[in-house]
Amino acid sequence: MKGYHDIAGDGGSRILDQIAEQRTRVADGLAGVRHLVAVGSGKGGVGKSTLTIALAERLRVRGHRVAILDADFNGPSQARMAGVQHAVFVPGREKAALPRTPTGIGVFSMGSVIPESEALDFESAARGESHTWRATREFALLGEILGAFEWGSLDLLIIDLPPGADRTVQYADFFGVRASFVLVTIPSQVARGVVARSVAALSSRPNRLLGYVENMSGYYCRDCNAVKPLFAADASAGFGIPCLGNVPFDPDLARTCDFGLLATALRDSAASDAIDAIARRLLDELNEDQP
Amino acid sequence: MKFLCVPCDSPMKLETVDPDRGSLSVVYSCPECGYEIAMLTNAYETQMVQSLGVKIGPAGAPAESAGKCPFGAMIPAAGTAAAPASADPAVVRWTMEAEARLANIPEFVRPMARTGIERFARERGVVEIDETILDAAREFFGM
Repeated sequence: MKGYHDIAGDGGSRILDQIAEQRTRVADGLAGVRHLVAVGSGKGGVGKSTLTIALAERLRVRGHRVAILDADFNGPSQARMAGVQHAVFVPGREKAALPRTPTGIGVFSMGSVIPESEALDFESAARGESHTWRATREFALLGEILGAFEWGSLDLLIIDLPPGADRTVQYADFFGVRASFVLVTIPSQVARGVVARSVAALSSRPNRLLGYVENMSGYYCRDCNAVKPLFAADASAGFGIPCLGNVPFDPDLARTCDFGLLATALRDSAASDAIDAIARRLLDELNEDQP
Repeated sequence: MKFLCVPCDSPMKLETVDPDRGSLSVVYSCPECGYEIAMLTNAYETQMVQSLGVKIGPAGAPAESAGKCPFGAMIPAAGTAAAPASADPAVVRWTMEAEARLANIPEFVRPMARTGIERFARERGVVEIDETILDAAREFFGM
């Protein structure tokens, strides 16, 4: 009797062919992107999204063509931070044009599609059993987005990942070896423990770990023009990957994120200086020419 | 998944797919002896395949689509995104070419695209959306 591998084709369902076509559309859509940089952590609330938009802006200022993909479909924040919550999606000749910030950074965020008063939902034959299929459906949606928008010619596509060490690895698998990772932590043992798990999980994949950023590394007091401690002193060692920099918490930076002003109002401060230094270090790690 | 007619040792061919309340009735037949079987999926099995974002059905046939708007249950008019605009003369019209371009973008952003572009056109006193207006809107809003 014939076995599975003795039979060519699939009898007409074409499901494997359709999966291959999806992957081709994603690869074609990203063909003009020089560097895919995923900003993750594993831990939530450490400032991945803030760092993503701030880094994108500093890279843009340095003359690089940058776009952001907010891959956190369930908790999208880039639309608000980038000021594209009310973006107009315009059909181009073949694909949809990517909404842009006032400074010209392309941004796709589910926050431009779904108001904050609503949660992402899918039609389903197995409603009430989403734990069995939801992650698969979200990655299919990610593929659809990558294939359907004009990413164009970019120096960097920065991907803002959702929390979860397991999710971080799923994105590594989805994007393949060409995606490099930057992990974000804060100076708490709880956060560092989760980030360490992400480092361990990613270490089993071929993707490059460019380094980590310590966010909320003290807070910047404008009155004193000084950085003061925010967490208990922490002398922990690194994660065995390069430290790209430390960013102090800056209430003004947080405010500009809340109001979608960051791209136009990232002012001179200890935080913006730190992010600029991280952008330089990131470009060094990527061997990218710097203007 | 493949099906084999054991007596003929021959791969069976997919004939029809009929969706029914979360189940799929997938009929395969043996090209040698004509024997037919039906695979009846439960809701989990149906959803697992649909979650891959693929269409289920024989090539060339109208298929049960897994590519439906994922937000159909939550975005008003998402399911009617491709419907022509109202006959009200105050409403801007879309040329066939512009409609075709709109159909190229993901279904889940089409209603928003239509609304935003119509507003863009009205603000400029334009009553018909053609490819020139789409190009202008793309230049104005897009990267």
